[in-house]
Amino acid sequence: MSQYNFKKIAVVPTAKDFIDIILSKTQRKTPTVVHKQYKIARIRNFYNRKVKFSQQSFHDRLTQILTEFPKLDEVHPFYADLMNVLYDKDHYKLALGQLNTARHLIDNVAKDYVRLLKYGDSLYRCKQLKRAALGRMATIMKRQATNLTYLEQVRQHLARLPSIDPYTRTIIICGFPNVGKSSFINKITRADVEVQPYAFTTKSLYVGHMDYKYLRWQVIDTPGILDHPLEDRNVIEMQAVTALAHLRACILYFIDLSEQCGHNLEEQVLLFESIRPLFTNKPLIVVANKTDIVTLDDLPKEKRDTLKIFEDSPDIPVIETSTVNDQGIMEVKIEACEKLLCFRVDQKMRTKKVDGILNRLHVAVPKPRDNKERPPVIPPNILLKKQQQAEKQKKKLERDIELEMGDDYVLDLKKSYTDIPEEERWDIIPEFWDGHNIADYIDPDIFEKLAELEQEEEIREETGMYVVPKMEMDQTMKDIKELALKIRHKKAIIREEARVNKQNKKPAIPRTASVKVKDRTVAKLKKSMKNLEVDISNTKNAHFMKTKQKTKLTSTPAKQMRMEVSTEKQEKMNKLKALVKPSRNDMGVKDVAMKKKLARIAHRAIAKKVTKYGLKGEGDRFIGTKMPKHLYAGKRGSGKTDRR
Amino acid sequence: MALRVQFENSNDIGVFSKLTNSYALVGLGGSENFYSVFEGELSETIPVVHASIAGCRIIGRLCAGNKNGLLLPNSTYDTELQHIRNALPDSVKVQRVEERLSALGNVIACNDYVALVHPDLDKETEEIIADTLKVEVFRQAIATNVLVGTYSVLSNQGGLVHPNSSVVEIEELSSLLQVPLVAGTVNRGSNLIGSGMVVNDWCAFAGSDTTSTELTVIESIFRLNEANPSAITSTMRASLIESMS
Repeated sequence: MSQYNFKKIAVVPTAKDFIDIILSKTQRKTPTVVHKQYKIARIRNFYNRKVKFSQQSFHDRLTQILTEFPKLDEVHPFYADLMNVLYDKDHYKLALGQLNTARHLIDNVAKDYVRLLKYGDSLYRCKQLKRAALGRMATIMKRQATNLTYLEQVRQHLARLPSIDPYTRTIIICGFPNVGKSSFINKITRADVEVQPYAFTTKSLYVGHMDYKYLRWQVIDTPGILDHPLEDRNVIEMQAVTALAHLRACILYFIDLSEQCGHNLEEQVLLFESIRPLFTNKPLIVVANKTDIVTLDDLPKEKRDTLKIFEDSPDIPVIETSTVNDQGIMEVKIEACEKLLCFRVDQKMRTKKVDGILNRLHVAVPKPRDNKERPPVIPPNILLKKQQQAEKQKKKLERDIELEMGDDYVLDLKKSYTDIPEEERWDIIPEFWDGHNIADYIDPDIFEKLAELEQEEEIREETGMYVVPKMEMDQTMKDIKELALKIRHKKAIIREEARVNKQNKKPAIPRTASVKVKDRTVAKLKKSMKNLEVDISNTKNAHFMKTKQKTKLTSTPAKQMRMEVSTEKQEKMNKLKALVKPSRNDMGVKDVAMKKKLARIAHRAIAKKVTKYGLKGEGDRFIGTKMPKHLYAGKRGSGKTDRR
Repeated sequence: MALRVQFENSNDIGVFSKLTNSYALVGLGGSENFYSVFEGELSETIPVVHASIAGCRIIGRLCAGNKNGLLLPNSTYDTELQHIRNALPDSVKVQRVEERLSALGNVIACNDYVALVHPDLDKETEEIIADTLKVEVFRQAIATNVLVGTYSVLSNQGGLVHPNSSVVEIEELSSLLQVPLVAGTVNRGSNLIGSGMVVNDWCAFAGSDTTSTELTVIESIFRLNEANPSAITSTMRASLIESMS
């Protein structure tokens, strides 16, 4: 695990929040009640405490910020340089320095006011002094607003930096933009770096990890570098330069043979030359990428010559790779790891560090001191298992067959059908036959099932299940049957009668049901007859009912429409009203007079209760007797617990 | 075959288990996770037995044994002794030892032919060891530590000793024990090798903190895979230097 972990720096609040936090903390954590009749010493002490407490809180919080942020002089030069590139060293140092000054100023303010408070002669004066002290501290903090916001931004960025361990085994990938650096790191590690077909997709350092030879290796993907003087480099490029300059790593310099990155081979070699000082004393490999487009051998003579400087120097191997078809990826990985491992071991061997562990690299092999055999005791079944495992590996695999047969290879699915005898195994079965799907008719157990059924049938036949029994009825039997039929009929009738009698004869019409309208009138009859052209003019003796003429109600309906509406509309409304269920307090109320009367009665009842019990109104909750004597006294029989 | 295991969040598995070529003892734990690792790996070939000694589960440190026998401290209860006797095959002699240094696992390191013991062990105990375990007994210290059982692990094919022991000392011990030896660690640099791992001739168990380099050293020195002990000095040398310094 890297010793540099910037993720644990506490959040830096804004100036306003800072002041709020401290002041509310002071309010919460110090006594709040003081009276002017207290002894003056006590009052002074009360305010003294508040001033000192807030000063201490400010001090602690600022100290926390100052200690948690990494000091550029103390961190590894790689991180120091990276932070200089990203956040500007001067700005960073200034911000922290000003916070330090603010801390001193606050301490001094507190000291001054504590001294002044000794001369406070009344509660009012002491309070004013305290106010002034806290006010001045707050003002000092307010001036730090920009520094605090800057530091918060730095903190957020620092927390998102990849955790690079500058001391561990590291492989750095560098080169022009768009030469395939990120694709390569994605191939050899599980870092998921974005890959896009344009330059500067990678804008910061990315870290991935891989395993080789039981060790953990750190791979750093850098943003692309352009070939121009150091002063002209932007922040993105400078990150790559920082990594190259300060990390003792194996460098993979990527060149794009196809020149699809927009820079020809000459430029790529020139860049190599110009950043070569950064590679001194580091293992270096040149990776010729994108061989799926053009290989080193396909290059024309003049281009090939540009790469001559690599071929001339023996300690710079050139390896061809392609991230598209994975050619050479593993070679590069192994070569890089081996070179770096060798380099690091060499360096370590020169120091005293290794002396302590040399004894652990020594395997003592005993010289026989007598003729006694001391064989290992391994049970035979373990040996057998080992042997079996070894044999399993010897088995001819499908891949071996494929290699053997080359292009003639066809995967044979049927050879593993060991249940089917060899001569039937490769039989061709059609999928459909006579319009039927053969699979639908396959039942592996069909013969067993058939045999089972046949056996069952046999048993049934044997027991005489299918012999038709001879039935003969004599007279008594017939009589009994007739009688039984009669009894059954009678029983059914009785049951039916009982059912009818039991039914409730009262009309079951709910209150809300609409009134049944008489549909048959003499007028209607006459009209329909007239339509059928039947003459019924002579109806004097026909006993037609004489209906009473509808008279208007003397009393007005309970609910009157407020609006004046045309009669036609009103009729419509009335119809609608008949459909809509009336509200519950209108139910069963005949007219306005009745409604008024009811309201009066209700009002009186409520008023009586309100005055009697001193309630505010009808909504005031009232419990007559909380514990009725009869429910709580004495023994309780069953069913006496609740109020009746 | 070397496996990483853990006993109830503790990596000192040699404390809670005893592994030999003819039986394995496992301390009673809260769950059967630990036991079942041994059970799954070994129960087809040798008995894997739950045990406690004097009501404690630190059996690996309290008892010492090999394929021929098992030595238990004087504090072992009669019932426990009976249980172990019943569970182990008849060819294994189980013997209770009256010894002042009662943590026998810490003071005795043995394979099926030789044993290293604490220099202060009683004369009678030494005789019992030689008789029950059928071994040659040597009084020795490892890297100035007298607790030889704690700081070394032996099998018939190899041995791992305290990381501070010098080359000369390793050579000496090796010729005494007649097995290849190497100095090393388990559990990410712990020098308590005896309590960090258990081994027999075909299988090893190490605490789950053990790094892959440590595990590879274990596998090659105890010949648990095809690799030879000499691989430690040849193919693994660079990785070892890298991981250790």
